[in-house]
Amino acid sequence: MSNANTIATIPSASPAPSFDAKRKPNAPIHLRKLAQQPWVRALLALVLIAAIGMIFNPGGIFYKWSTHRDMLRQVSVAGMLACGMTLVIITGGIDLAVGSVVGFTAVLFSLLTLHLGWPAALALPVCVLTGAACGALSGGLIAGFNIQPFIATLAMMVFARGLAKSISGGQKISTAVLQADDSYKNIELPALFGTIDHRILGENIAVVTLVMLVCVLACYVLLTKLRWGRYFYATGGNENAARLSGVPTKAIKVWAYGLSGVFSAIAGICQAAQEQQGDPEAGAGYELTAIAMVVIGGTSLAGGRGGIALTLIGAFTIGYLEKILSINAVGESSRLMLTGLIIVAAVLLQRSKK
Amino acid sequence: MKYSVIALSLLVVASAGDAHAKAKWVIGMSQCNLGEPWRVQMNADIKKAAAGNADIEVIFKDAQNDTLKQRAQVEEFVNAGVNLLIISPKEAAPLTAPVAAAFKKGIPVIVLDRRVLGSSYTSFIGADNKKIGMAAGKWIAKRVAELAAGGAKGRVVELKGLMTSTPAQDRNSGFRAGIKAAAPAVVDIVFEADMKWLEANARKEMESALAVNPKIDLVYAHNDPGAHGAYLAAKAAGREKNIIFVGIDGLPQEGQSFVKQGLLEASFEYPTGGKEAIESALKILGGKTVPKEVTLNSHVFTKANVDKGGECL
Repeated sequence: MSNANTIATIPSASPAPSFDAKRKPNAPIHLRKLAQQPWVRALLALVLIAAIGMIFNPGGIFYKWSTHRDMLRQVSVAGMLACGMTLVIITGGIDLAVGSVVGFTAVLFSLLTLHLGWPAALALPVCVLTGAACGALSGGLIAGFNIQPFIATLAMMVFARGLAKSISGGQKISTAVLQADDSYKNIELPALFGTIDHRILGENIAVVTLVMLVCVLACYVLLTKLRWGRYFYATGGNENAARLSGVPTKAIKVWAYGLSGVFSAIAGICQAAQEQQGDPEAGAGYELTAIAMVVIGGTSLAGGRGGIALTLIGAFTIGYLEKILSINAVGESSRLMLTGLIIVAAVLLQRSKK
Repeated sequence: MKYSVIALSLLVVASAGDAHAKAKWVIGMSQCNLGEPWRVQMNADIKKAAAGNADIEVIFKDAQNDTLKQRAQVEEFVNAGVNLLIISPKEAAPLTAPVAAAFKKGIPVIVLDRRVLGSSYTSFIGADNKKIGMAAGKWIAKRVAELAAGGAKGRVVELKGLMTSTPAQDRNSGFRAGIKAAAPAVVDIVFEADMKWLEANARKEMESALAVNPKIDLVYAHNDPGAHGAYLAAKAAGREKNIIFVGIDGLPQEGQSFVKQGLLEASFEYPTGGKEAIESALKILGGKTVPKEVTLNSHVFTKANVDKGGECL
């Protein structure tokens, strides 16, 4: 796809529709066009999963709002990571460090608020800026030194995990604080933890879910409403062409990874609040869940194509899959095999018929 | 850039390396994985027990859950000429040969928590997960029988550790055996899931258990973070006051702390054996003999006894 074409199709985040008159002459043309929309394909996968949920539905709980509310909470932390991952993948990169940055910022946040008694107004920006710095550092290595994204973020993944273990001394940072005489004293949980891990709007939605939706909205505005956001697509679509037409591709990359770091830090804070502690092992493997969400949504790993709404659908698809397997108390071995199979099925549904 | 990265690496190495003081005896401690809080606690217990003794110095190595790395560490300790080796092995079979080689060279070996094969070591120190699971099963059956005085069965959720690991298998089979021995007719296990030792997973599974079961009397989790995750799920559903939570491990900052706060009703200790390992090491180095096999005593912590150090099982 040419660069000009990429930019032209950004608002709908879709490939240019191809009018293939030879195939399916009977199908109305607008239906065929609709079926080629990536979001329609992404929704198909989600509907498929929901249908499974309606079939395997012990006691009708799939029809209760609380089941969906819980799914929305469970998917939130990985969903926030998927936001940053979408930005990075659109620029043609990958960010393997997001899970480790979750662990690092969860520990940092707990350390600052629980052990050092910092007020929320200070701890929150420090954690978010730390996450941004981790991401921007990866981005800097990629843009400035031409290190492959896989390698640079792999390095950051290992390094940030080390940082998490280092500042926590390898222990979970919880409300039990070690005293000088080797005993543990329980301190009061700061109000901020309760505020984040809390349901609002008549107990109908978790705060973390709203945080995720705000992250999605921010990405939506960035990618579809701002010229700057279109540069992300241009960078991922054809980097040389973009650079020659004046797109600051290096800066865009640093921004993409930096924002991914910001979303990872927000996710880390939410993780810590929900666990009521900072676990240096938190977030291990979450990068793969986030990548799966982006890919199941239909954003291309090759870069230049995709969108944040797709990722949201992908996140719900993964969330419902986990929820359905869990409420049916499916054994671990079957869960892993089913998850693998359904990811393949969802991605096959996604693939455009060319 | 290149040089600054190298300089930074050297700085990290310099700050991480210990300056070795000259002690009479050097003990090498090979830990299989410091990613688990329980194992961090084991090292802390060893450090604490050794701190008061000027005759010994302990060098710690972390194999980061890698069998081959741990094997290399054992060989490094042997080459460095340590006076005694403590190892908490990741796996029995692949670590048996290096441990036996060290033992045959005349280095006394204390095997902690997990076993090696054969008998080429000085002493094994460990707790028995099956026994602890059994104690939990008996305790839970008794507690549920009190609740279900009307004849109804107690509805119990079991949140299991990673079921491909032996501790989870033993905590599961011991628990079932304990129930069978105490009062099989009163316990109805209504939901069971593998939460892989992780608090976040336990919370997810518990949310499903709560959704499917309108009434749950007790949650038995294979570790304390799992029980805590289940508690948080129940709290979010406003049902935590009607459910009893029981966990295993009893670390001071986790299980014991949760019991003190009234979140868990009981936590069954899985002792690290760190202190006992140093005690045995001092005996061996002093020329005394120690038993080939030491099974550690476990405690149960409840609100009534947690401040007094728990109650022996």
